Amino acid sequence: MNAPRPMPRRIFLRRAGLSALAVSGTVPLLANCASGGDEGDDEVSGGGEEQTEENPFGVSPSDPLSVVIFNGGYGEEYAKFHESIYQEEFPDATINHQAITDIRQKMQPKFASSEPPDVLDNAGAEQMPISTLADNGQLTDLTQLWEADALGFEGMTVQDTLHPIAIEAAEYAGKPYVMNYALQVYGIWYDQMLFDEKGWQPAQTWSEFQDLCETIKSAGIAPMAHQGKYPYYIQQVLMDMAVKHGGPEVVYAIDSLADGAWQHDSIRMAAEALLWIKDNGYMLEGTEGLDHIQSQTEWNKGEAAFIPSGSWLENEQAAVVAEVNPDFKTTVAPTPLLDGAVLPFESTRVEAAEAFIVPADAANQVGGLEYVRIMLSKDGARKFTELTSAPTVVNGAADGLDASPGLASSLALIESGGDDNWNYYYTIWYSPMRPKIETVVGELAAGRITADEFCDRCQDIADQTAADPTTQQRTRT
Amino acid sequence: MATTTHDERMKGQGAGGPSGDTKRQGSRSLGDVSVNTAAHFVLIVWSVIVVVPFVWALLASVKTTDEIFTEPWSLPGEAQWSNFESAWNWEDGFGQYLLNTIIVVSGGVVLTMLLGSMVAYVLARYTFPGNRVVFYLFAAGMMFPVFLAIVPLFFVVDRLGMLSTYHGLILVYVAYSLPFTVFFMHAFFRTLPTSVAEAALIDGASHSGVFFRVMMPMAKPGLLSIGIFNVLGQWNQFVLPQFLSPDRPMLAQAIASLLSNQRYRADWGTVFGFLTLAMIPVIVVYLIFYRQIQSGLTSGTLK
Amino acid sequence: MQHGKYRFIAGFLAVPLGLYSVFVIWPFLQTFFYSFTNWTGLSPEFEYVGFQNFELLWDDTVFRHALRNNIVLLIGLPVLTVFIALLFAFLLNVGGSGAGVRSIRGHGSYKLAFFLPQVLSVPVIALVWLAIFRSTPDGLANSALGAFGLGPYGWLADPAMALYCLLWVLIWGSVGFYLVLFNAAISSVPRDLFEAAFIDGAGRASTFFRVTMPLLWDTIQTSWVYLAILALDGYALVLIMTIGPGNPDSSTQVMALQIAQAGFENGKAGYASAMGVVMFLLTLVVAATLLRLTRRERIEY
Repeated sequence: MNAPRPMPRRIFLRRAGLSALAVSGTVPLLANCASGGDEGDDEVSGGGEEQTEENPFGVSPSDPLSVVIFNGGYGEEYAKFHESIYQEEFPDATINHQAITDIRQKMQPKFASSEPPDVLDNAGAEQMPISTLADNGQLTDLTQLWEADALGFEGMTVQDTLHPIAIEAAEYAGKPYVMNYALQVYGIWYDQMLFDEKGWQPAQTWSEFQDLCETIKSAGIAPMAHQGKYPYYIQQVLMDMAVKHGGPEVVYAIDSLADGAWQHDSIRMAAEALLWIKDNGYMLEGTEGLDHIQSQTEWNKGEAAFIPSGSWLENEQAAVVAEVNPDFKTTVAPTPLLDGAVLPFESTRVEAAEAFIVPADAANQVGGLEYVRIMLSKDGARKFTELTSAPTVVNGAADGLDASPGLASSLALIESGGDDNWNYYYTIWYSPMRPKIETVVGELAAGRITADEFCDRCQDIADQTAADPTTQQRTRT
Repeated sequence: MATTTHDERMKGQGAGGPSGDTKRQGSRSLGDVSVNTAAHFVLIVWSVIVVVPFVWALLASVKTTDEIFTEPWSLPGEAQWSNFESAWNWEDGFGQYLLNTIIVVSGGVVLTMLLGSMVAYVLARYTFPGNRVVFYLFAAGMMFPVFLAIVPLFFVVDRLGMLSTYHGLILVYVAYSLPFTVFFMHAFFRTLPTSVAEAALIDGASHSGVFFRVMMPMAKPGLLSIGIFNVLGQWNQFVLPQFLSPDRPMLAQAIASLLSNQRYRADWGTVFGFLTLAMIPVIVVYLIFYRQIQSGLTSGTLK
Repeated sequence: MQHGKYRFIAGFLAVPLGLYSVFVIWPFLQTFFYSFTNWTGLSPEFEYVGFQNFELLWDDTVFRHALRNNIVLLIGLPVLTVFIALLFAFLLNVGGSGAGVRSIRGHGSYKLAFFLPQVLSVPVIALVWLAIFRSTPDGLANSALGAFGLGPYGWLADPAMALYCLLWVLIWGSVGFYLVLFNAAISSVPRDLFEAAFIDGAGRASTFFRVTMPLLWDTIQTSWVYLAILALDGYALVLIMTIGPGNPDSSTQVMALQIAQAGFENGKAGYASAMGVVMFLLTLVVAATLLRLTRRERIEY
């Protein structure tokens, strides 16, 4: 796709290696080409103790450990629990816990001066560009963690316990660098109480959805609201309908920056569906200008029936719900199927998020690895779900937990979708594309452009990204 | 809203024009009255536009998060004084942020004014080879966004061992405030009469003596204007301390952190409580400067 | 004497120039250098890539939007702010009733009120106006206009209005300071000059244009330059207030936001540096043109 032009040897090698990005943890073919020798030292800092079954990375018991937690939708309580387990294991270690929201502003200077923390939860709106960190060799290879014994799972390695999407999301150039902790389920959310009261059902097909919109509107409620200030949310509806219609190849093409990926018929149909909602007055009036809290509050108050979001929503709105509508029962539904869809209704986008990394320059890398192993232990993961009502990437860790309505419906969707659940990576791999695509989505959702214009403008953005010689192109199949 | 004031403005002016030009004899008092009324009208409209948001922010500091967003224009159901308490105790504590900021800004402004005036005076009043070069060098500094230099700057400050230190931040503030201060004071020194300085030089005063004893007192109105400007600029400076003083945060950083928090845990009452607390020092400074400006300027015009 | 003069000049310039060189010029020179590299800003590694960043910039449509929007602000903000501030300063000083030239009654309280936006920090200003410009029919601006049967408008959600909403907020926040500045300058103009103009039969409006403006020319010129710089930034306001941020449809994109996104969010510090260089050159041209156009003879009194 790129016009041939001379490029530095290292970038060339990297790009060759990256095209082999493995899906679902299969063995990468060209893994070694990528780390062209100068990707930092392979020596792991800290530790030096004997590597035993209890202490697989040889953590030195008295080495201090610094942990920086993104204090967002999931809070910081779960991290304190993990730290307490680490402390039990190494009573002499001093643990420095920091919980912040503006990760980039606070951490970029630390990375730049080679004083990063041992564990960083790189998440939120102000996260650092993770693919750049991975490509620069600034992250610790997690292979030895993947191969270590899982805590609380007899006879299994850590890798065995992880959801395939977590393994897929971890990899850059065939090696795992990122532990994405939370499993986020996307869908359109509604109030089960309201729907029961009115006798409504989330629609399975597009024509059912059209009827439902009319019914809801005639009850004096806006069928759909969205977080217009951040078009990311409504984009989830569009992408999910498109992928479920055309199958995973639709999203593979997008992630691979393939020719015509955005002009796929499934994308066009999904765009037309979104336009239909707007053009028929089924969107909450003025929702284009509302931020997430404002729009979600309107939804909690019963001004709108559906709102797109992820599985953090219930936790995020808990305080608002208590104040404005205590009976509210946050529940997720998959998006309806367009005519001719190839994936089942009960599948959706499932993303492994909350990127935990152990920086390559960390003073106590092995301590960081051990900390992440504790997070992935059965107890550690279970506690996270208990505290945040959000599923983790650790299979079965939440089994038998008393689940809130939102969590129960999220877990059910992970289960029912199974291997049909899908995810996209272009926003992380080619981060400059993200805001540009969102701009176009915003225009579409406001009904200011046609579906064809939408497809063409998105394709232009993808083509430009592909033509940019600084883009590290990756492929999915 | 913009168009409203625009119309108002035109009206005010239209009333002023003809009454003065055509009927200046006899009917002046009548024209004056209408001009005066129009002037008051325009000024009152603008005052309302300016005061309402200010009052809104103050009221928001005693409301709950829900009240701020769902009933933005009503009075609080019950005044939430606890907003101030949680704002005061937020993270490092308001007092600590305030202290850090006062130390850096007062050091920064005093040094900026001194060094900036020195450069401006030399450039405005002395011809020497390279004068224009130095002037444009400083002028060019106004045209580059600070955050673009921030990463190289970070390494410079790091190598000097000045990260998260008061003196490091003060010196950086001064360096980045110099361009506009020099530019402004340069223009100001050029408007001052030359005769007094020349007389002093003939009387045998030294160059620096003339600057400190004659020119600086004469430049007081200009110094006050640019002084307020620098106080506000450095007080609100955000990008520089964010990178250069991560471990000793200023007020603006605390506000940014607090705002960033709101995306995930909405507690806007605390935000506005904090913002209100942060306004107080600026108001105090303004009131002090305001009096000085008045006295400084009237003494100037009476001569 | 000459020797003493040069020593004095060198003595006065040494410290400020030293500081300025180390903390401003040197980092900026490095930025020029980085604009020719593929530096990420996250690690010390980079490679020289020639003019690649500038070639990419040439095709970057969003950057072009940002450039266009900055130019709108660059013209709108100084023109309107200076005009409004001057007018208010004039009204305050000579708008009083009675014979001759008098300050208006309540002069002090007006000035005190007008300065208030300066006391509010940018986040407060942004949040207040965000609440006013709320896009739903129950927003303040919408409900006020609704009373006259107008609207509801999208304000910041409408690509045709969003940039002007920002411009308005910038003007709103700036007028107070320039009013104080011009007021100081007008007060230092001897009152006799206004009196003389009146006796000569000039009206208030012509006094404004023929007497006040020329006397304040230096101050206006300075303000103009500073407002232009403010117009080139606008980062915080755009970040907090606008959709996206920078939207709808890139209508509120500004160069500062583009630079921040490229340099920090996307790990493309080399590319961001190239944007900065373009911005620098552009500002240089604008400033040079402005200074040349507005150059006038100095007026002494």
